[in-house]
Amino acid sequence: MTPIARLLEHPAIWRGRNVGQRDTVSTGFPALDARLPGGGWPQAALVEILVTHLGGGELQLLLPVLASLTSRAIARWCAWIAPPLEPYAPALAAHGLNLDHLLLVRTETAPWACEQALGSAACDVVLAWITRPLPSRAVRRLQLAAQRGRALGFILRPATARTLHEPSGAALRLSVEPADQGARITILKSRGGLAGTWHLNFN
Amino acid sequence: MASELQLAQASGNDTHALSAPRQAGPAAHPIRQLQPPPQQTALCIEPRELWLAVHVPGLIADEQLVLKRLARFAQRFTPRVSLEPPDGLLLEIKGSLQLFGGVQRLYRAFRAACVAAGVRPIMALAPTPLAALAGARAGIALKVLDESQLVGAVAPLPLSGLRWPPEVLARLAKTGVHLIGQALRLPRAGFARRFGTEQLASLDRLVARSADLRLGFQAPERFRMHRSFTYEKEHHAAIVMALTPLLEELGRFLQARQCGVTEISCQLRHRQEPHTSCVVRLAASEADAERLIEWFALRLATLVLPGPVRGCVLRTGLLVPHAPAAGSLWQPGEHGGGGHAGSLTFIERLRARLGTAAVYGLQVQASHRPEGASRQVALEVLGAKRKSPPLSWPGMRPIWMLATPELLSEISGRPQRNGPLQLRDGPERIETGWWEGGEVARDYYRAIDAHGVRLWIFRERQAPHRWFLQGLAG
Repeated sequence: MTPIARLLEHPAIWRGRNVGQRDTVSTGFPALDARLPGGGWPQAALVEILVTHLGGGELQLLLPVLASLTSRAIARWCAWIAPPLEPYAPALAAHGLNLDHLLLVRTETAPWACEQALGSAACDVVLAWITRPLPSRAVRRLQLAAQRGRALGFILRPATARTLHEPSGAALRLSVEPADQGARITILKSRGGLAGTWHLNFN
Repeated sequence: MASELQLAQASGNDTHALSAPRQAGPAAHPIRQLQPPPQQTALCIEPRELWLAVHVPGLIADEQLVLKRLARFAQRFTPRVSLEPPDGLLLEIKGSLQLFGGVQRLYRAFRAACVAAGVRPIMALAPTPLAALAGARAGIALKVLDESQLVGAVAPLPLSGLRWPPEVLARLAKTGVHLIGQALRLPRAGFARRFGTEQLASLDRLVARSADLRLGFQAPERFRMHRSFTYEKEHHAAIVMALTPLLEELGRFLQARQCGVTEISCQLRHRQEPHTSCVVRLAASEADAERLIEWFALRLATLVLPGPVRGCVLRTGLLVPHAPAAGSLWQPGEHGGGGHAGSLTFIERLRARLGTAAVYGLQVQASHRPEGASRQVALEVLGAKRKSPPLSWPGMRPIWMLATPELLSEISGRPQRNGPLQLRDGPERIETGWWEGGEVARDYYRAIDAHGVRLWIFRERQAPHRWFLQGLAG
């Protein structure tokens, strides 16, 4: 053991990458798990996903975790708030989602409904499509609501020059771009993890 | 004809001599009217009860609302009404004869009320409920006003009117017993042994040898409360404040009855404009005033009122039995915690603000057309055990499905969307629905657009062979 490693084991030393959530849930993609702190999506936290093109792989990225969370013995709701199009039940069921726990909300006020869903403790996972600009205060509110309700929140927002560079209160922030047989994932912010870009294969 | 009274007795003993105040001239002493009828002799035993059986042929178990509606207006004629599901109703009318002016008049008034309600019943009168029912079910408008003639009147009725178990009736039929009179002549001990004590007890009740106790029908309760404001209210907050005592009253009303409501509506009254109605529909019954107030406030906030509010009427739908939810030892989301019990508040809140239809679930539905296989359902339907159609298909199915396919432009026969599309898999031919109109004949392809977004598109098989976008892979 090198002296520096021995020094780092001292309990008085806190290291940034250990501060991240301990409770995580696997993303279903080992390549992605390896790059996220704690080895998966943080539970009870907000994840912001910036989408360059609608349908460009953001749902393929989330379906494994939705399937695993909705098929648990005591599952809470999986809420989809203001989805841009109508999701197709047979395809969701074929991906392993338990439709009995799926709840869809059609609304113009997605941030309000999202905060209600996250903070209510009635949902395991919340997906919210928010197209309008979202002030950083609102993101912070959602993050606090997710902690309060112990829910995993995903907010899906269009990736624009502005959203890509604004500061965010979310625990994890990434952008998804469609690519051949998969998607290009860029981690923009990861509390206790590392940023970076790589290609994720969905098959 | 069923509506004609078949008089099963001598017309001499008129039981409604007790009533008939119209015959009393001004000189008659009113006290005399209450005396027992003078023509009652030892030959005529006036029954203590008089039951009117109402049989609605063809009413099935699904139409219990009709029966309950009938029972509700039967309560205008007598307080003693009992249901005889699925198709019968019993009224004890002895106490009401005087008020309505005799058997004949009451009978006609009730019949007219039934016809006005769109029901054509067969009615029968007898001193015991079972005798009246047996008569009505046999299609005979029996009228027995004399207890001594009861046995004689019911003897020719078929046994099937008593609704005994079919195997008992079959056994009786084998011994040649088809009519009530034949059954009454059988020795009691033997009858009880061979056909059951239950059947013997029913015969006893039929001929008034033993009492026949009936469960009274009680019309369901509702809550209605009206309030006029001392001054016109212009703000939502002020209206909610004014409604709060009403909703608290409703909460106490529900608590006292251990009931809840699933629907409350409030009519807000304006000076000139038509009333505004604010309806809150709940996913599960609720009895807690605080939550009702919260959802009401949320619902009200979405309404645009045409003018200031002068008063309001609060009404509930049917009361339903309500048990307060049991709390869990665990917090939701913790190990062992979860379930949908605590989630109702959240759903109600969303529904109150966004409307009931805005919160829904999805179900897979068997369909030949791909776009018909996904169905929006109310959340209450979810979780019910149902047979799910198989989830197998030859090609890909997208996560996002367009409700109406989007027409794609075309350049030299190749579909375009942000540039030319590359076709990957296909074609998957779907040719279906010709038997119910709306025939589809399409060749589906998986395609990738210039950005790499995976699409599901199709080409019409018939001219003009246009290309459409059906869905996005997500």
